[in-house]
Amino acid sequence: MKYRFEIICLLLIVGLFVLTQVVGNQFYFFIGFVILQYMVMATAWNILGGYGGYVNFGSAGFLATGAYTAVALINFLDVGLVEQMIAGGIFAGLLGFATGYLTLRLRGVYFAIATLALAIILETIVAHWDYVGGAAGTSILPKRKPELLGELIVDRKAGLFGNYKEFLFFLMGTVAILSVWVARYIENSKLGRGLNAIKDSEEAAECMGVPTLRLKLIATTISGAMMGVAGAPLASYLTFIDPLSAFNLEYAINAIAMPMIGGTVSWAGPVIGALLLGTAQQVSSLWIQSELNLLIVGVVLVVFVIIAPEGIIGWFRKSRQGSSR
Amino acid sequence: MTRILANRVRVWLLVGLFAASVVLSGSISTTAQAQDKDPIKIGFSMALTGALAGGGQQSLLAMQIWAEDINKKGGLLGRQVELVFYDDQTNPKNVPGIYSKLIDIDKVDLIVSGYGTNLIAPAMPIAIEREMVFMGLFGMDNNSKWKYEKYFQILPAGPDPAVGFSQYWFEAVAGLKPKTIAVIAADAEFAQNLKKGAVTNAEKMGLEIVYEQNYNPKTADFTPILRAANAKKPDVIYIASYPNGSAGLVRALAEVGTDAKAVGGGMVGLQFSGLMAGLGPMLNGISNYDFFVPEPTMDLYPGAGDLIKRYQAKVKEDNLKVDALGYYLVPWSYAYVDILGQAVNAVGSLDQDAIADYIRDTKFSTVVGDVKFGKNGEWDRSRTIVVQYQGIENNDLEQFAKPGTRKIMLPADISTGELQTFGALRK
Repeated sequence: MKYRFEIICLLLIVGLFVLTQVVGNQFYFFIGFVILQYMVMATAWNILGGYGGYVNFGSAGFLATGAYTAVALINFLDVGLVEQMIAGGIFAGLLGFATGYLTLRLRGVYFAIATLALAIILETIVAHWDYVGGAAGTSILPKRKPELLGELIVDRKAGLFGNYKEFLFFLMGTVAILSVWVARYIENSKLGRGLNAIKDSEEAAECMGVPTLRLKLIATTISGAMMGVAGAPLASYLTFIDPLSAFNLEYAINAIAMPMIGGTVSWAGPVIGALLLGTAQQVSSLWIQSELNLLIVGVVLVVFVIIAPEGIIGWFRKSRQGSSR
Repeated sequence: MTRILANRVRVWLLVGLFAASVVLSGSISTTAQAQDKDPIKIGFSMALTGALAGGGQQSLLAMQIWAEDINKKGGLLGRQVELVFYDDQTNPKNVPGIYSKLIDIDKVDLIVSGYGTNLIAPAMPIAIEREMVFMGLFGMDNNSKWKYEKYFQILPAGPDPAVGFSQYWFEAVAGLKPKTIAVIAADAEFAQNLKKGAVTNAEKMGLEIVYEQNYNPKTADFTPILRAANAKKPDVIYIASYPNGSAGLVRALAEVGTDAKAVGGGMVGLQFSGLMAGLGPMLNGISNYDFFVPEPTMDLYPGAGDLIKRYQAKVKEDNLKVDALGYYLVPWSYAYVDILGQAVNAVGSLDQDAIADYIRDTKFSTVVGDVKFGKNGEWDRSRTIVVQYQGIENNDLEQFAKPGTRKIMLPADISTGELQTFGALRK
């Protein structure tokens, strides 16, 4: 069937909505939101890092751009969550484009350091921007009864969702599914093949007529926009945001570790990585010891680098090839 | 064949790795052990690691002492009390998930906050959404935006905490007849609130602000900031800082010096044993806020002295790696859960509305004396004290457990010393 994947995506979105209607325990929506957010981050990182081989260490900067765009819009126009996410995506996408334009002539470790520097610059700007709370941070009071196109979205009795966490979970789930669809589309398109060629050898790709700079700019823009969309609801999720939370290095580490563990060659890798690592982190944070979650990332990453450098996807492919011989 | 086997072993190794983490997670719990069936659970997050761990750890121990005490007396409503807590790592990002787990998974009956303004802020909306009573531990003006009627704060800074916090410091330095002031503050919510209050008090006194500087909490070297402040020749310097910044600023003061007559005001962390012992004589001359010091006039808190002795004995006996003295937070951490406990027993149920009404309308007798809450759940009056570090000769911690090293300047009725100029004590 030609549109089998798209139908599955639609069914998953419907499934997410059903979940919000039948699961009463809000805690699952809290941790579900975080895992889904990481899924978007990992998928977005993989478009540039996995397909194109350009390692972005500044993922937290793009996520925070989305988050602080949302805060600025709340303060300025008191707009709804969906509008915040769209605006967050646009601004982070523009930032991605600008970053790409300025840094894509850099390669390897130089590009990675440039993206890290970008996050630090952004954090410094935000820390001195009092309108969005500055370094002290700001509290965000989500709208009690938000509406979208005249429809009451959140209300205990008459809304589509019983509470705000369900709404956030559904939105992030929908974004995660859409981002996976985008990643899969790119993977199978000219853009994906071009990025793969760049990853193998940029000089060779250029000699073969691949418009390397243009493809990289498209990839940084899409990747940045996706991270911005993922970051926009952060302020509403935390109801308090400060640079420490938004620019946390944990986002950058996880955005890299999850595709590395799942496998960078396919769209499924970041999804698997995010599900496994995100779940393990949430479980360890709240049931074992909170500081263990980064240790888990480190240990699992080391184990994978040693025994499965191409991630779970690559490993299974190898296993299948080995057993078919 | 060998290859297939090796691949299978790898697959199982991976599956095992993830399964182990999940199984492990279910088998280990950080919660305290219930002492009886069906206990009343009090849930909270606490900064046990990270920048505020020095305060968070002593608070937790004080709360555990309270739980022991109340359980010996029969608990709350005839049920034992169990504390359920998680480390928030001094990171606001971790707080919403923790409180959601406490309420939805651990099914706690009551919640209280962790330590510090930035860690209370992200928990507020959850308490509001669930309509639960929320006791705050040392949050600065957290409820000014929400105006939540079931929030109560143990920080004794008065109904207008930002202003009340530094009011006595400005009254104390007024005797030095200053005309100009420099204000240095960390770029963090607590410190910024303090700064706003300090600016208000300075303006009331007619002081000219000649230098005003925020610094990044990650700043390591404060000598440029102090040199810039000194260049403006302020008569007094007000500092609102967090523990790392406080230590850095004290070291910078020792290196650069200043001609200002008074320095300090809102320096968090100088009350912690580790920092006091580490900084030693460098603290001399600094005048700072505090809440409880081992001065004879602090008998107005009748239970606090005994509680601190028990805390110190426990730290020694169990060789705990927490603040050895516990003056700063122990009485208040004990008191804020005690008030909640008193309210529950008085109301006779866990009805959150009734508990909140009772707390709002009652004057409580606690280890920190009488407590009455006013506007926005803050104390109805300020009871912040101003101390000056005097006569510190070495880095011995024991000297801080005796009277004389932190003399009380104000309030006047419990004063144990006269404010001296910063320079007079720097020899």
